[in-house]
Amino acid sequence: MNYSHEFPKKNLLVMSKTKKTIITKMLFAFIFLAGAISGCKEETPPPVNEEELITTMTLTFTDSANSSNVITATFRDADGDGGNAPTQFDTIKLAAGKTYFTEITLLDESKTPAENISDEVLEEANDHHFFFNPTGATVTVTYEDLDTNSPPLPVGLSTRWVTGTASNGTTQVILKHQPGAKDGTEAPGETDVDVTFVTEVQ
Amino acid sequence: MLFRYFSFYVFVCFVATINVAAQNVTPCNSTLSGKVIDEHNEEPLLYADIYIKELQKGAVSDTLGNYIIRNLCNGTYTAVCSHIGCEKVEQIINVKGNTVVNFYPEHHHELLNEVDITERRVSLVTTQTINSISGKELEATRGKTLGESLKGIVGVNSLQTGTSISKPIIHGMHSNRILILNNGIRQEGQQWGSEHAPEIDPFIAGKLTVVKGANTVQYGSDAIGGVILVEPSPIRDSTGIGGEVNLVGFSNGRQGILSAIVEGRFKKNSSFAWRIQGTGKEAGNTETPNYFMKNTGVKELNFSGAAEYKRANFGIELFYSRFNTTLGIFSASHIGNLTDLQIAFESSVPLETSGFTYKIARPSQHIKHDLLKAKAYLYTGNSGKLSLVFARQYNLRYEYDKHQPLNDSLAGLNKPALLFRITTYTTDLIWEHHYAKSISGTVGISGITQGNEYEGRFFIPNFRNYGGGVFMIERWKRNKLELEAGLRYDYKWMRIYKWENNVIITPQFQFSNFSATLGAIYKFSSKLNLSVNAATAWRPPAVNELFSDGLHHGAASVEVGDRTLTHERAYNFIATLNLNGTKKFNGELSFYYNFINDYIYLAPVRPATLTIKGAFPTFHYKQTDATFKGVDAGFTWNVVKGVSLISKESIIRARNSSADEFLVLMPADRFENTLKYTFADGKAFKESYISITMLNVLKQWRVPANSDYVAPPDGYTLLGMDASTVFPLGKQKLNVGIGVNNLLNRVYRDYLNRFRYYSDEAGINFSIRLKYSF
Repeated sequence: MNYSHEFPKKNLLVMSKTKKTIITKMLFAFIFLAGAISGCKEETPPPVNEEELITTMTLTFTDSANSSNVITATFRDADGDGGNAPTQFDTIKLAAGKTYFTEITLLDESKTPAENISDEVLEEANDHHFFFNPTGATVTVTYEDLDTNSPPLPVGLSTRWVTGTASNGTTQVILKHQPGAKDGTEAPGETDVDVTFVTEVQ
Repeated sequence: MLFRYFSFYVFVCFVATINVAAQNVTPCNSTLSGKVIDEHNEEPLLYADIYIKELQKGAVSDTLGNYIIRNLCNGTYTAVCSHIGCEKVEQIINVKGNTVVNFYPEHHHELLNEVDITERRVSLVTTQTINSISGKELEATRGKTLGESLKGIVGVNSLQTGTSISKPIIHGMHSNRILILNNGIRQEGQQWGSEHAPEIDPFIAGKLTVVKGANTVQYGSDAIGGVILVEPSPIRDSTGIGGEVNLVGFSNGRQGILSAIVEGRFKKNSSFAWRIQGTGKEAGNTETPNYFMKNTGVKELNFSGAAEYKRANFGIELFYSRFNTTLGIFSASHIGNLTDLQIAFESSVPLETSGFTYKIARPSQHIKHDLLKAKAYLYTGNSGKLSLVFARQYNLRYEYDKHQPLNDSLAGLNKPALLFRITTYTTDLIWEHHYAKSISGTVGISGITQGNEYEGRFFIPNFRNYGGGVFMIERWKRNKLELEAGLRYDYKWMRIYKWENNVIITPQFQFSNFSATLGAIYKFSSKLNLSVNAATAWRPPAVNELFSDGLHHGAASVEVGDRTLTHERAYNFIATLNLNGTKKFNGELSFYYNFINDYIYLAPVRPATLTIKGAFPTFHYKQTDATFKGVDAGFTWNVVKGVSLISKESIIRARNSSADEFLVLMPADRFENTLKYTFADGKAFKESYISITMLNVLKQWRVPANSDYVAPPDGYTLLGMDASTVFPLGKQKLNVGIGVNNLLNRVYRDYLNRFRYYSDEAGINFSIRLKYSF
């Protein structure tokens, strides 16, 4: 590296009075510059979770034979990813040998009032797709809604769950955001929701 | 007027020797002719006196700088070049037939009434290991990113995020542990992020230097891995206007770069000089051997300006630069959770590919970096130089997520998901001194203040910090031995502003500590020397290590800071054997051992964090003791005339000694060999060479368990070629270079590239470099 500096040989061995003043002034300037500059607004950080979050997913099961028999299962992580652990993580408890009409509600409860994200998903239904993967529990899930792609593809905000014999297991609910890539399969796109509910068919 | 013009200059003529050849008896009708040219601005020097001592015969150069001496017998003579104010310098000339010898007197711009000027240098070359890239070697890297350009230095690697984001790694350390000095100012951006590349236009640099090992005494805490100096060439010291235009094209990404420098020194008042510089760059999607990487374009528009006012005993320099870039982030790398990552990794082709486009879509980054520097210096008599440097930096970083918010009114704002604004002021007062012949050194005091703000998703909090340091390095030199010792004290105060449970918390942190260095150089001969250095350095924890808390989207992991972390303390030992200046073989062999107490790293923690997007592996910032040891070797062997072999090897072993396992993300063993043929200079072309390079990178199997989702990729071998020549066009010069990277279009992945999960590396890439100097 080049640290070369030129030193003219001049009779400056004795520092003149003006030079001393210059140096003193430099020092003052230095202290001023290093310490006195402020005026940013970092003292007021932006509100937490200003961005859009999905904090809550609720599955509402309505018995096809008795519309007053409504069961819900909720996953709630009010402060979003990381931070505090989820505050609610229900088990899906369904009766054996029944058919349920199921609606999914997604909320952003970090905002006041809470924002309904499932409405936004519905608006962009052509780019979104829910997938349901039951394991162990005898549940069959079929789609009750379609988007406006051609040919139309399922969305999954509304589904039909048919239960078999009593059994225990899990159901994985996945929401994929597949802008321009929705093809009916799970692979493309980015995962917006991925929750595995413990599922009991009694 | 003419006299006045000449009296502005002091010329020192070049000395060269040419061996005597056996002579036949020949008639004495040979001539000696040529040009006398100013070495700096390449203008002809008129009325220079050239004469042959033995014959007392001579000539004077004409208005074009040409001279001719006729009727000479073939033979060896002593030619003397002299000019007004120029010391007579003798040069041995071998005259055979019509011989052409050009004289390139080197002049030093000086002021009227200044006589008897001598140049002295305060040598700050430390006992640490230093490597530079400049001249031809730097020209061959033109168009590459800063991180990529530095890979030519043995022991330096880069941490990549695709092809456009490249962070230098020195001896296994990067980001917060190395310091980049841009034109003497410590670069302050958001350097903690692995996908935050240095915000510097490499075309500003006339020289890139890497100081390896802990170097906090001179440059301040943090630099425990090393320091990178990006230094512009000095502004021309002769009057007139000059400059260069660089035009670089790469086939891969169909990248084009235009960069130009124009500079001048006023004829009427030669104390004033100026320079303006600008670079524009545009690249589209990178192409791997089998597919395009979607959304990997880059746009860059940078400019800088410099002005200086230089008098005999003081000077003022001003510098302003703006770096401005928009980078596409490879679409297939933005994933929602671990399952997405697994699917992406298992797919042989990325889940999203595309054709070629220059268009940059989401996800993307947009970064601006402003630097304003003012420097004043004063010669303190015979004994030194006092400099005051003030700088302001403003770094703005926008990060756009892959998708817009679902809410249309939010999406309509088109806001970045994450925005950082960091403003930094630094001031340094430095006295370089030279007491006696044997002792020289530097004493300095420096101050820094910094404020950071963010908008959007939380990753690091707002903060303000103040810091200061005082240091002293002294160097003693006698005969074959040079000793160096330095000490520094640093203090840092930081206050955080963060929401926690609906109140703003403002925790304060204070860190202060000492750094020290002790080194020696022993010169066995003028060509062979051994340098050894022991240094201790410290680094306060960075704000991300203290406070980050959130999901890292590209890495699909949750990173959690720890506000009880203490500083890191490094003990660094480095020994380098350097052989330089021999005809046949030159080289460098360097061993290092670095021990870091309380090394801060990301440790995997169970259980995974449960979110609505699934469970994410979680890493907490923890401290451990770590060791880094390694060897860097490099040599140039001139096998036969014109043919040389250039070899560079680097090996590093890094361990977490508390947990007794390897450290993550360490460079694999790397071997680079170049065979180069240099052509003899002709009339129409000069400095020509052609070279072929083979790079071997071994597989990095030394990784800790449970720290990565997939095994490191295999090693690879790449071939590359480069050729370059210079066409002299009268006073101007045209450099032409062509190159090929990944000549065999090999499919490979690199362990240090974060996109190794998603995509292959870039395929074959042809390049052409044109540089026109005027």
